[in-house]
Amino acid sequence: MSLPLKNVPTADHQNTSPQVAPASTLLDLGGVSKTFGNVQALSGLNARIGTGEFVTVVGPSGCGKSTLFNIVAGLEEPDDGAGIQFRGQSCKARDLLGNVSFMPQQDLLLPWRTVIDNAILAIEMEGMPKAEARALALKMLPEFGLAGFEKQYPNQLSGGMRQRVALMRTFLFKRDLMLLDEPFGALDALTRTMMQRWLLDVWQKHNRTILFITHDVDEAIFLGDRVLVVTARPGKIKLELPVNLPRPRGAELVTSPEFISLKRTLLEAIEEESMKSFQATTGH
Amino acid sequence: MTSTHALSDLPRAALRGVLGVAIVGLIWEALVWALNVPSHTMPRPSQMASAVAATPDAYLSGFLRTLVETLIGFAAGAIVGIGNGVLFSKFTRLRQMVFPLFVVSQTIPVIAFGALVVLWFGNTMLAKSVIAFYLTFFPVTVNTLVGLQAVNPKQEALLRSFGASRWQMLIRLQLPTALPQIFVALRLASTLSLVGAIVGEWFGDTTGLGVLLLQAMYNENMVGLWAAILASALLGTTFYGLMALIERTCVFWRNDL
Repeated sequence: MSLPLKNVPTADHQNTSPQVAPASTLLDLGGVSKTFGNVQALSGLNARIGTGEFVTVVGPSGCGKSTLFNIVAGLEEPDDGAGIQFRGQSCKARDLLGNVSFMPQQDLLLPWRTVIDNAILAIEMEGMPKAEARALALKMLPEFGLAGFEKQYPNQLSGGMRQRVALMRTFLFKRDLMLLDEPFGALDALTRTMMQRWLLDVWQKHNRTILFITHDVDEAIFLGDRVLVVTARPGKIKLELPVNLPRPRGAELVTSPEFISLKRTLLEAIEEESMKSFQATTGH
Repeated sequence: MTSTHALSDLPRAALRGVLGVAIVGLIWEALVWALNVPSHTMPRPSQMASAVAATPDAYLSGFLRTLVETLIGFAAGAIVGIGNGVLFSKFTRLRQMVFPLFVVSQTIPVIAFGALVVLWFGNTMLAKSVIAFYLTFFPVTVNTLVGLQAVNPKQEALLRSFGASRWQMLIRLQLPTALPQIFVALRLASTLSLVGAIVGEWFGDTTGLGVLLLQAMYNENMVGLWAAILASALLGTTFYGLMALIERTCVFWRNDL
């Protein structure tokens, strides 16, 4: 059902986008601040992620994206006064630990484990017997473009393949929320485009909620139902931009007028923040 | 890929090593013969071989005795050293209390310590193993600790997010990460434990390579001394080579080994 984009009337976008009426709010962050010594990384950040939504986060470098990531992953506690709600329940950041499947920038594969054993690391920790976990992962290999590679070691794989193994590990660790931190940042442009389309495919098939952090505006629009722009430090949400582009999304989308206009809006917002961030660090 | 490659190369590499030893032996033999060096200064390899052939039992039993002492001391040192490393990495206060004592223990000359061990354990095999242990546990402790502390914090955070217990963290991440470093220490320990066993034998015994060395020295038996030296070298090299082989098999993911 991939209609040529130019034939799709703008009003119809809303019907094809799944985020317009999310079933429920999965994660609600209210007034999240974080201070390290005399550096304020986040200041009163508010964000809401609906079940099944694909939300992307962009911002200038050093805007506290990583801090946000660590808080949502449950690895760091925000300053007092923050309100975190997960599945409608108030909780601490550390309660999210183990409830969120996260994938950091580096693939962090264990070099002594084969592809299949790296993929099952998380579910093995949960207590699934190794044989059962391997059988489960083996079935998923073709979908992740890794069929026939199960016995290889990470140092025998290309960067794109290593990233897919890490993503597979994240997908196998079935949690309501997936948190991805610039997973394609280290890949070359061509591989990155392929991986983005592939990720959308897998996301739609598996019905997951994704919070995706990136510094690439094209990537943020191409993937997301909504793009959140974070301000320069101290970080808060500067702009929340719904991306009402139809799915499934193809390569031709990035040159469409709708895409370009969204990109212009985002770039302007980010440019402003980058300047602030730049001036703050250079002292001008 | 790299590991199988390295392993298939192994027999050929071993063959070249043996060939090298044979060539050096031949040159040695030829030089001593050609320059007419007296055998009480530098004996020929063939003289050593016939000395060993004359009393093979003494050398064989000495070799086996020292081997057993070395292995017991090495195994104890490796187990205690790795255990200490794990404990010290988990309990910082314990490390701060005990580690300085370990350092002090290592500054005591092994000779002084050897006398003490003999008084405690007598002229037993255990006494030699204890000295071998004394020389090995410390480097293994230090290297295990260094290896465990080299774990990538991001990797730790990732496993924590998967709900890993402390035990799982140790077994699945920390120990494998430390393994290359641990093997560096085990290779070192394989030679140190031999030194410990031989020094231990000097404090009094009737069998062992150390005993053969001592007897040859007292009798000014240059041929016997060299035969004992070469027997020790054979034991040490074989043990070291075996450790290196195990290292290659266990730490296969390191390309630079």
